[in-house]
Amino acid sequence: MSPILSALVLAIWTYICVYDMLSPNFIMASRPLIAGFVTGLIVGDVKTGMLIGGTLELMALGVYTYGGATIPDYMTGAILGTYFGKGGNFDVGIALAIPAALLMTQVDVLNRFLNFVYVHRADRYAEAGDDKGFDRMMVWTSHMIWGFSRAIPVFLAIAFGEPVVKSISAFFESYPWINKGITAAGGLLPAIGYAMLLKILPVDKYPAFLLLGFVLFAYLKMPLLGIALFAVAVAGIFQYVKYQKKEA
Amino acid sequence: MATKAKITHADIMKCFWRYIFMAQCGWNYERMQSVGYCYSMLPVLKKMHPDPEDFKEAFITNLNFFNTNPIVGTPLIMGAHIALEEAGASYDTTEGLKVGLMGPLAGVGDTLVWALYNSIIFSIAAIMALNGNAMGPILAMVLVFFPYMAVRYWQITWAYKEGSNLLSTIGGGAIGRITEFVTIVGLMVIGGFAPSIVRLTTPLAYAQSTVVNGETVTQTVQVQAQLDSILPYMLPVLATFMCYWLLKKKSWSPIQVILLLIVIGFTGGALGIFG
Repeated sequence: MSPILSALVLAIWTYICVYDMLSPNFIMASRPLIAGFVTGLIVGDVKTGMLIGGTLELMALGVYTYGGATIPDYMTGAILGTYFGKGGNFDVGIALAIPAALLMTQVDVLNRFLNFVYVHRADRYAEAGDDKGFDRMMVWTSHMIWGFSRAIPVFLAIAFGEPVVKSISAFFESYPWINKGITAAGGLLPAIGYAMLLKILPVDKYPAFLLLGFVLFAYLKMPLLGIALFAVAVAGIFQYVKYQKKEA
Repeated sequence: MATKAKITHADIMKCFWRYIFMAQCGWNYERMQSVGYCYSMLPVLKKMHPDPEDFKEAFITNLNFFNTNPIVGTPLIMGAHIALEEAGASYDTTEGLKVGLMGPLAGVGDTLVWALYNSIIFSIAAIMALNGNAMGPILAMVLVFFPYMAVRYWQITWAYKEGSNLLSTIGGGAIGRITEFVTIVGLMVIGGFAPSIVRLTTPLAYAQSTVVNGETVTQTVQVQAQLDSILPYMLPVLATFMCYWLLKKKSWSPIQVILLLIVIGFTGGALGIFG
């Protein structure tokens, strides 16, 4: 595929990912794992798609827009990272994906702000009792600002970014410490997702269960599925004891 | 405002599909999911308010602020709202239902769907993908599509049947127990997989000289091995708790914490402290 054609196809895929996140959530296409995997299928390098998507997914685990907060756009990062990392350039792909994801947070704030046009137009349709006009606005335009805010940067980056990326990767090759730094930062980033999970879960109320899971993994080396089954049993016993007492 | 029209299953399905395809479209800082919610409810609003002036009022009222979890939350509120519309409830009642349920359900939904279910599914899928197994992402998509569709369909139909009893049903009893159960399982699984996924080790080593049988022997001591003997995964655990503390006690935004992690990780990696 020529860069322009790739740019167009991946811009459409980006738009689909945004739309899937906004409403149907059929396949969670906005998760970096899925966005990167399908990008890998499109550019003919599924392995890189899974490596970039999987790496970013672990960084993004637990990172959701609780109540509409802005978070790094790992979805766009996964799409661009897979495209530029294809053919064995994983390091370059991941090194581009993280800054791209962070830069896109600015775009996210802007698009969430600009979206107020829909609610103001909706007010006018409501005043006029024009539900047909409102339906048309919802179906055809209500996803456009959000969709294009991601699809256009992806298109531009892929269509015209190749020379820039080439010079960046040449730069990386001459300074190996950059890669070491990026690898270490990438390994550390999943910590934020866990911290966000811990923040929304009632850790203060049930700290013992968190500790129990850690002990099973760190000392007893139990595989994750084993921990999950053990956890189901523990939760069952806990509730049996707790509610038995109340009923008796 | 009591009307004679009856809500059929087809009406509910009309709202359901509108919700599936447009739930959060047009999301904005001002009224968040309001346009998507209003769009989803329009078929029922129109049927229950045949008078044009009355319909206009219903239309305007349902453009009020709305925000909750779109997977576990919105369909439940819609089902109960449809039941109230059928009973001819006032706008105060329907708006009260929406406002009363959207906050608590956002908490329950975000915890169940995003924090627990998705984290477990996607961490397993991502690890499979990193090992080159394409079944990882495929399995994740399947485990999103079918359960999500089922749980959304179930909510709207069940909440419609429960109707106005919903507020008291959700308050305690079954849903409280299920949430507690899933929270316990989730906390244990998270405690188990968190340390495996945060990769932070140190290659640092130092030389230690000891005198054995009158000869000086120099040994290299690996700092990582010493840390492991104190507490396995000590560095990942410390990093996670530092982030938790900054988020919860210092009210940092996730973006600020991420930037700090990048600075620490990059500097440490480039200088050879981590790796």
